[in-house]
Amino acid sequence: MTWVAQLLTELGIAVVAGILQGSVYALVALGIVLVYRASGVFNFAQAEFGTVALFGSYAAVVLWGWSYPLGFLFGLAVALAMGLLTERLVVHPLRNASRVTVLVGTAGVALAAVGIQFWRFNETPIMTMPKIHDGFFRIPVIGASVTVQQLITLAVLAVASIALAVFFRSPWGLAVQAAQQEPVASELVGISVRRVSMITWGIAAVLGALAGILSGAYTTFSAGFLTFGGGRSLLPGFMAAVLAGMSSMKGAVLGGFAVGIVEQLGTLTVMSEVPGARALMLFTFLLAILLLKPQGLFVGRAATA
Amino acid sequence: MTTYDDTRSIPSVPGQRGEGGPLPSDETTVIPAVTPGGPGEHARRPEDERFRPTGAGWLGRGAVWALIVWLVLAVPANQLSPFHVGVADIDVLSLAAIYAVGGLSLNVLLGYAGQISLGHQAFVGLGAFASAYIVTNLQLSFWLAVAVAAAFGALQATLLGLVSLRLTGLYFALVTLAYGTFAEETLFGIAAITGGEGGKPAARPLGFEDGYSYYYLCLGFLALVLWLDWRLTRTKGGRALAALRENPRVASSYGVNVKAYTLLAFAVSGLFAGIAGSLMAHHDEVIVGSSFDFRLALLFILMTVVGGLRDRVGVVIGSAFFALLEEKLLTQWVGDLFAAMQLDDFFGLLAELVSLDGVLADGLGIPAEFVGLIVGPILLLLTLTKYPGGIGQQVAPIRLWLTGNRFDRHAGTVSEVEVNDVRA
Repeated sequence: MTWVAQLLTELGIAVVAGILQGSVYALVALGIVLVYRASGVFNFAQAEFGTVALFGSYAAVVLWGWSYPLGFLFGLAVALAMGLLTERLVVHPLRNASRVTVLVGTAGVALAAVGIQFWRFNETPIMTMPKIHDGFFRIPVIGASVTVQQLITLAVLAVASIALAVFFRSPWGLAVQAAQQEPVASELVGISVRRVSMITWGIAAVLGALAGILSGAYTTFSAGFLTFGGGRSLLPGFMAAVLAGMSSMKGAVLGGFAVGIVEQLGTLTVMSEVPGARALMLFTFLLAILLLKPQGLFVGRAATA
Repeated sequence: MTTYDDTRSIPSVPGQRGEGGPLPSDETTVIPAVTPGGPGEHARRPEDERFRPTGAGWLGRGAVWALIVWLVLAVPANQLSPFHVGVADIDVLSLAAIYAVGGLSLNVLLGYAGQISLGHQAFVGLGAFASAYIVTNLQLSFWLAVAVAAAFGALQATLLGLVSLRLTGLYFALVTLAYGTFAEETLFGIAAITGGEGGKPAARPLGFEDGYSYYYLCLGFLALVLWLDWRLTRTKGGRALAALRENPRVASSYGVNVKAYTLLAFAVSGLFAGIAGSLMAHHDEVIVGSSFDFRLALLFILMTVVGGLRDRVGVVIGSAFFALLEEKLLTQWVGDLFAAMQLDDFFGLLAELVSLDGVLADGLGIPAEFVGLIVGPILLLLTLTKYPGGIGQQVAPIRLWLTGNRFDRHAGTVSEVEVNDVRA
């Protein structure tokens, strides 16, 4: 029965690793859900907000020698600017276009960002972002190895979700929700729908930026890191958002964890003979969800955070 | 009615028909209709449809046609031309023709059927590996390999199409994204078939070993695909797809089989992609799975949208443009052209100012190899927000003029980059 014991051990490690990796996906998914609720857009630039922030922080901390907190804030600011510009230059002009067209537009934004990264950081194709804390330890019973940086990401996710929940209960947050549900009626009671759209894209960009700067330190990174590079989280983020029915914030977090765990199942010894097992797991999982339960798993009560 | 032999040339004037009776009498319709707008307006007047160019007009059109034929057929082979196209350059030109086939493939899906595909690199890649496997492992002929690659492409696209029937446009985009990654990492990672990291050799067919003859082979396949695409749009299937894209419910109520025609679009798109993949495999001669990554899918979207959806000529020009841009041939040619034009100081200065290479490298600091990466997405966003017709709209007046119509610079105007919306 040793193989059962081994499988259980591996499963435990996969679950822990999945939740930790899933917290990155959850941060991306939160941004995707937020934007979808506000603009009805599948934002393919969401992961690229993270990569751009990562490059911004990297440039500030490593190349220009700023302190880490300052560099972190600079990264967030760069992503925020990119999010607002995307809303202004691409999403707003296309507000009456078909939703697939806007999808192509956001993919174009992502591609432009990747192009600029390739061009500006041509000399050093592979880069390393410093971590907040270098430590790592082993979880006693399960035997999973965990870095402190991953735990920080998890903590940031928790703080971000609580902050979002609080925000959506504040007057500003209620205005955002109202504008998302009834744009015309909100406009009539004095809510600026355009400003709400800007706020939403700004928050989404900052969420993506958090995911990017924190997860960028896990490994070396290159241009397009979060979209198709080593830390690809665009597709998992979307899957988490689909699990949340594209509407629930809580669902996006749970969905992120679920997708992270499913992806880690591809690293089990049973799957070692299959090439690209993680991609295989994600593809079959996405097909299964969309064909069997397209309304999502973690939808909860409709609307509110 | 007898006074007009061609009744279709009478424009219908709204508000004038059916007054007082269920059917307009002959007398009321024969009244010469007043063209809406003044003489400056390019309204559809009866004489427009009977327009015949003069002799000089035909001569001008013939000259331009000859120039195009010369550029496409003679110059690449260094026949009757003052330029010299090298061995490396001809490979890029072949790639342009192959990309055009790929662009037309995505155009069927995105343009005709309104279904987005972010996994088109998998369609092309599967055809490439199928073709390489048949030629290298089974030692069969290239012609059979192309056919099998096309069939494989059609089969997998149809399978993916079955999934799309159950999903709306946005969710289907996710499936194609996941499928592309899955194909790149899992399918193309099966070392027994794809040769793994070392790559898969794919020899060029007998008689087409050198770059110049392979270019004509690619052009031949491009012509075949263009003809098939033209047949598709001119038959019942093409009209059914147009109806479907506009409004599936209305189309369905008129008896259009929604499922069958959506699957037809997928099959045709997969067929074209398979051909493109096969050509690409034998063009590169050694293929690796990692060359069919997400960036290739995005490149196909750039080519199709910037070229102009549903515009065959535009898609071909757009694909060739991006192939040349990607392989740095375009900036190089522009540079050479301006270098050759340095007649005196004034022109030299002008050349410095206008030269793409100079401006991009010195002014903005973009080296030539990154021009494609930066310019492509910007063109895409400009097309989406400002010039929805893409390249196709820009060249439509010339295209119509070349086919014997009046020169009308407003021809082919499109108001929006429109993809299927009803199901999205």
